[in-house]
Amino acid sequence: MSNMDIFGIVGSALDAQNQRMGAIASNLANVDSITPPGQQPYRAHEVVFSAAPVADGEDDGTASASGPDAGVQVVDTVQSNAEPVRKYDPSSPDADSTGYVTGSNVSQAEQMVDLIDSSNSYSASVAVLQQASRVDQQIISSFQVT
Amino acid sequence: MQLGFLDFYGGVLNVRQDRADLIANNIANADTPNYRAVDVPFTAALQSQLGDTSVSPQESGTQYRADGIVGLNGNDVSLDAERVEAAANGEQTQAATVFLHQSTADLVTALRPNPGGI
Repeated sequence: MSNMDIFGIVGSALDAQNQRMGAIASNLANVDSITPPGQQPYRAHEVVFSAAPVADGEDDGTASASGPDAGVQVVDTVQSNAEPVRKYDPSSPDADSTGYVTGSNVSQAEQMVDLIDSSNSYSASVAVLQQASRVDQQIISSFQVT
Repeated sequence: MQLGFLDFYGGVLNVRQDRADLIANNIANADTPNYRAVDVPFTAALQSQLGDTSVSPQESGTQYRADGIVGLNGNDVSLDAERVEAAANGEQTQAATVFLHQSTADLVTALRPNPGGI
């Protein structure tokens, strides 16, 4: 059986979703950032989740004998390789020789959808936490000697 | 050996606890690429908890959910289904606890000295 209890699992989930929301906040904050020519534009950060510890990849209908995965962890942060937005604005001090300004490659709509998804997962984890503690309270109180 | 009510409710609560952990784990991994939801079959797991050796570890152990819809990232966790499972599992844990408490209370009553002294 897993060596992590329900509170550890939920804690890891809340932590991971929190990091994801942090990345989304950073992306949204930089959605209008521009960069001078010759510098790297801001690229959207994306966190990579992995079940922890990593499963041994058996696909025979049963989970691995060493016990199921327990919790989730952020294993990496990657940068999106979408094309940065280029806007024609010759009056800007950061415009290149053709008059284009390089912005970030953050898609605002995509980030908002990601944020809603993350928020949904977060509240599901909180609901599990509340329910687990309610059940625990009930078990404790039901064995109080009267 | 005949099973007492403590063995039985202990087994039920163990399986319920395992399921609660697995459901929490499924929800924690709702956004993990290539993660597949897992669960234990309650009846088989309880039989194995109660010492029934006719159930193989494959039957009573952790298994992948069969009815999940695999998304584009290879993940088949349904948050709604998991929350329903968590709620049902929680209620049934409470029910088992209440029954266990009632049984122990009856036992304690039987052990008390007769208040009338007869």
